[in-house]
Amino acid sequence: MVMAFVVAAIAMLVAIVPAAIVLCRGELVASVVAYEFITSVVVMVLALLAQGFQRSGEFELPVLLALLMFGSGLVFVRALERWL
Amino acid sequence: MIVRDIFADVLLGLAVVVVLGASVGVLVMRDAYQKLHFVTPAALVAPALVALAVFVQMDLYENTGETFLALAFMVIAGPYLSHATVRAIRIREKGDWRLRQGEEEQP
Repeated sequence: MVMAFVVAAIAMLVAIVPAAIVLCRGELVASVVAYEFITSVVVMVLALLAQGFQRSGEFELPVLLALLMFGSGLVFVRALERWL
Repeated sequence: MIVRDIFADVLLGLAVVVVLGASVGVLVMRDAYQKLHFVTPAALVAPALVALAVFVQMDLYENTGETFLALAFMVIAGPYLSHATVRAIRIREKGDWRLRQGEEEQP
């Protein structure tokens, strides 16, 4: 286990808390922004945990999430623009 | 090896500081336009630092390649997503993203 990577992942998970507050309690548009922020951070957390625990197979997850982040973000943005 | 570890630790520390700062920015800024400015450091700068840290730790390896692939997706998607978000917020507020007659651009 590479300790520094795991510690960095935990610190980044802590950094999600302020954005999660905005996500839950903020206006709708601010919530979408917080959602984009959290997705970006989670991509890094997954990469850090994969490196921290030395599991090459788990590096697929951040790659997939980074790709899906674009699609899902655009879906939310389009819904915000038209229907919400 | 020790130098590599120290360099990787410094890069990871920087990434964490960037993300923590950006997170506080998302919390304290007033409106969504201002909050969106703080998504960029977390979506572009911090992933680049993390990818560099993995590179420093592992050198050229499968893990490094996949981390840089994730970084590439984020670098490509981030600006598009930010632009689309601002556009959607503007349409939601004004009905159209374009400037209307008599409406001035904000500095």
